[in-house]
Amino acid sequence: MLTPLHARQWDLQKAAHLLNRAGFGGTPDEIKAFCELGFDKAVQTVLDGPDDATQFPKPAWAQPTNLLALHQQMMTLTADEKKQMQQMVQKQYRQDDIDLINWWLNRMRFTSNPFREKLTLFWHGHFATSVEKVHDSYMMWQQNELLRQHAFGNFGLMVKSISRDPAMLVWLDTRESKKDHPNENFAREVMELFTLGIGNYTENDVQEGAKAFTGYRIAPTDETFRYAPFQHDEGVKTFLGQTGPFTGDDIIDIILQQPSCAKFIAKKLWTFYAYEDPDPSLVDALASNFRSSSYEIRPLMSDIFRSAEFYSPDSVRQQIKSPVQWVVQTSKVLETPLARPQITINALRQLGQVPFAPPNVKGWDGGRSWITTSTLLYRYNMANFAVGNGPLRIERLRKIANPNAPAAPNSFDVQNYQGPDLAKVIPAQVRADPKRTIAYLCFRLYQDPLTPRDTETFVKYLSDHGPTPTDDTYRELLHLMMSTPQYQLT
Amino acid sequence: MSDQDDDHIIEPHTSTLHTRREFLRTSMLGAAVSFTLPVFLQKTFFTLDAMAADSAIQTATGKNDTILIVLQLAGGNDGMNTVIPYADDAYFRARPVIGIPKDQVIKLNDYAGLNPKLSGLKGLFDEGHLSVLQGVGYPNPNRSHFRSTEIWQTASDSDKYDSYGWLGRYFDSCCQGADPTVGVAIGNQVPQSFAASSPTGVAFSRPEQYRWFNGDKSGASDLVYKEMNQPEMDPAMLDENDGGSVDSLAGSSAPSRHKESTLAFLERTALDAQMSSDKILDIARKFPASVSYPHSALGDSMSLVGRMIAGGLATRVYYVSQGGYDTHTNQVATHARLMGELNDALVAFAQDMKAQGNFGRVMLMTFSEFGRRVTQNASNGTDHGAAAPMFVMGGGIKPGLFGQYPSLSALNAGDLAYNVDFRSVYATILDRWLRAPSKEVLGRQFPLLGIV
Repeated sequence: MLTPLHARQWDLQKAAHLLNRAGFGGTPDEIKAFCELGFDKAVQTVLDGPDDATQFPKPAWAQPTNLLALHQQMMTLTADEKKQMQQMVQKQYRQDDIDLINWWLNRMRFTSNPFREKLTLFWHGHFATSVEKVHDSYMMWQQNELLRQHAFGNFGLMVKSISRDPAMLVWLDTRESKKDHPNENFAREVMELFTLGIGNYTENDVQEGAKAFTGYRIAPTDETFRYAPFQHDEGVKTFLGQTGPFTGDDIIDIILQQPSCAKFIAKKLWTFYAYEDPDPSLVDALASNFRSSSYEIRPLMSDIFRSAEFYSPDSVRQQIKSPVQWVVQTSKVLETPLARPQITINALRQLGQVPFAPPNVKGWDGGRSWITTSTLLYRYNMANFAVGNGPLRIERLRKIANPNAPAAPNSFDVQNYQGPDLAKVIPAQVRADPKRTIAYLCFRLYQDPLTPRDTETFVKYLSDHGPTPTDDTYRELLHLMMSTPQYQLT
Repeated sequence: MSDQDDDHIIEPHTSTLHTRREFLRTSMLGAAVSFTLPVFLQKTFFTLDAMAADSAIQTATGKNDTILIVLQLAGGNDGMNTVIPYADDAYFRARPVIGIPKDQVIKLNDYAGLNPKLSGLKGLFDEGHLSVLQGVGYPNPNRSHFRSTEIWQTASDSDKYDSYGWLGRYFDSCCQGADPTVGVAIGNQVPQSFAASSPTGVAFSRPEQYRWFNGDKSGASDLVYKEMNQPEMDPAMLDENDGGSVDSLAGSSAPSRHKESTLAFLERTALDAQMSSDKILDIARKFPASVSYPHSALGDSMSLVGRMIAGGLATRVYYVSQGGYDTHTNQVATHARLMGELNDALVAFAQDMKAQGNFGRVMLMTFSEFGRRVTQNASNGTDHGAAAPMFVMGGGIKPGLFGQYPSLSALNAGDLAYNVDFRSVYATILDRWLRAPSKEVLGRQFPLLGIV
């Protein structure tokens, strides 16, 4: 059951919905322009966006370290010098981590192709790898590029590439896995979290699969994948009912033959983009096309974005913005730059989603788990900062690198962040009538009207401030409209 | 907090709502209610009236009721290096590198003893305020972090899936109409064990920031904020929110979590945030920590719990977490650090409670999703295992060693076999500590233990 949306049903609300979910939303003008493309062209834009590689060149620090040379250099040092050097390297990594997160957030915010970044964010949550264990910003950056490169490509190829990805080799201990002592970590998670889902394999499959992923190493000179044949178990394995001297790639091919794999991925993508608990028949329809296209992701995304179900009342404005969505979209709708990294990254940590630092290999649970009394208040207070009302008290950044390390509370001032240009965000032509102002801001902030009663609450607030409200009043109005359950929805 | 920080704090406005009950009285009971109610209010509204008649319903007063603190050791704590079978040669054979030398073990009896970093816990054990539960687990153990954590959080059988947590079901059956602060999680996340049909509980880590800041000194902004952050009472709107009519309330079953719309869920959380923040901020200001806590994330969390208890926050269950226990590689130094932090934080907390005169009211329970394999791995760490010990601490508990140390020779797929079902621990705590019907909360009667 997957009904295509008819092009005639395409309207401003659906355009806003597609822009919000497939990307990170847009300004009223951007939504209108996107709508005017028409349904087919709009979906085409999402699926085949421009390459933004020249817009976002490789960061200067994103170079492999010669770990071997570093190690050899360390050996010649005195204990004190060694300690000093270790501290220096660690400090550099921490700084690079912050740059890395900031680099990606700005790419999401300013890219000409937000759709690929959004899907890359999905795959990051799917193959959730954290810098907290990998401790190497270059490897994390490399994995991010890998996910971006395969985002709309072939899923099977992506899984095989991920199995060789240096950050993943560290994250799930594959690089430690030896013929005599296979490490089960990757073999378990590749099935439980990356492809099949729990219940579709046995403990025995984990142990047999682990044998096939032995001998995967990282070259110490340039941090690339290296195959160590002497550490690979070439013996016969029995995996998911098949027997043979399987390699890691063979294991992935066998996994891809399982019908549960296409369903698992299709359902997870649907949940991320549309809504939770989709009808099984809908998942079956998506999965069947996905499998018959040999796991090509672009046609699957096309099925999702062209379906009537994607634009149904179960979907539109029923999703809670993820913290990353909240931060990037807020910056878009207020037409501001992102606040400096200390503020943005700290906010994301408080809200529960720091890119490159998922809580565990399962990634972020998403949905209602984003919202607690604590994170909801923090969202409201982040809005207070975003509109330019004043400082946001935050903690020192070293807690981000290591959440277990104690840190004294710290307070940063606004510096360099002025909030939105109110003349742009609330143009003169909508200011004469408070009703029109509120209606306009509802579209800008929610892409949807409020109930008459809620509308009246804001109209009254604005009217009470006289015929020509000050900038302070407009800023507080924006803050109030964002300090609502409605602003958390998309 | 520095003075600079305090400059930013605007004095709390005069709140019209302090508790959920008050909100209901003023907003609902005062009005002629004939229209439909949002889902979460239905049951609460109904139970308010039932409350007086039903003594099983316990609202937290914050003054004299018993308190449970659940401490999660996240990642799978190595139970064998926590409570060490030092008299068993098999232990040293299985762990030639990572085994704790016999002469360093703090002996509890002639077979088992504590990790050398747990000297403070030994002190509590000796004075009768700590019990050690050995060999705790469940049938058909699962070695996935997520699945096993879920089993512990929901208290389900390992082949069944429950969406509600064991503490959430306790809130559902015993704390209806209570303030949202009846369950408090320190941190930004509410644990799965709090998930309930009428979700209850708040999360915070920095009370000074647990409030709404705004850029308007006039107070007009506050009114709009309050208006927008409570369940919509407009009848037309309520129909869309899966409301049920008041008439159908009597005897109606608990509405399912999924029947609550996302917007209604957000509105309810917003109301809980509003109502709890004034109270928590007030306590945080008036009650600084009375003893010195160690500088660690866990120390900070336990200090905060101590302050909230001192201030009489109406809470029955606090939830605290210490992470980092997934020790697959070179675990010796990491595990020692974690044990040290655990020891120091719990010792400080016990001192704090004694100084407050509240030690007799609190019970702290540790748990981890699983123990680790008996045999060390090739990376001088340990992989995911099964049965492990738990600690229970408090002024009103019965001390001692409970359960049997699992045999190191009769293993279950390389793992220690459990002999105490963790749900027996839950059942005992529910029945004897929280005075809640464990059979109802856990779905069946588990044998009780002598820990309280």
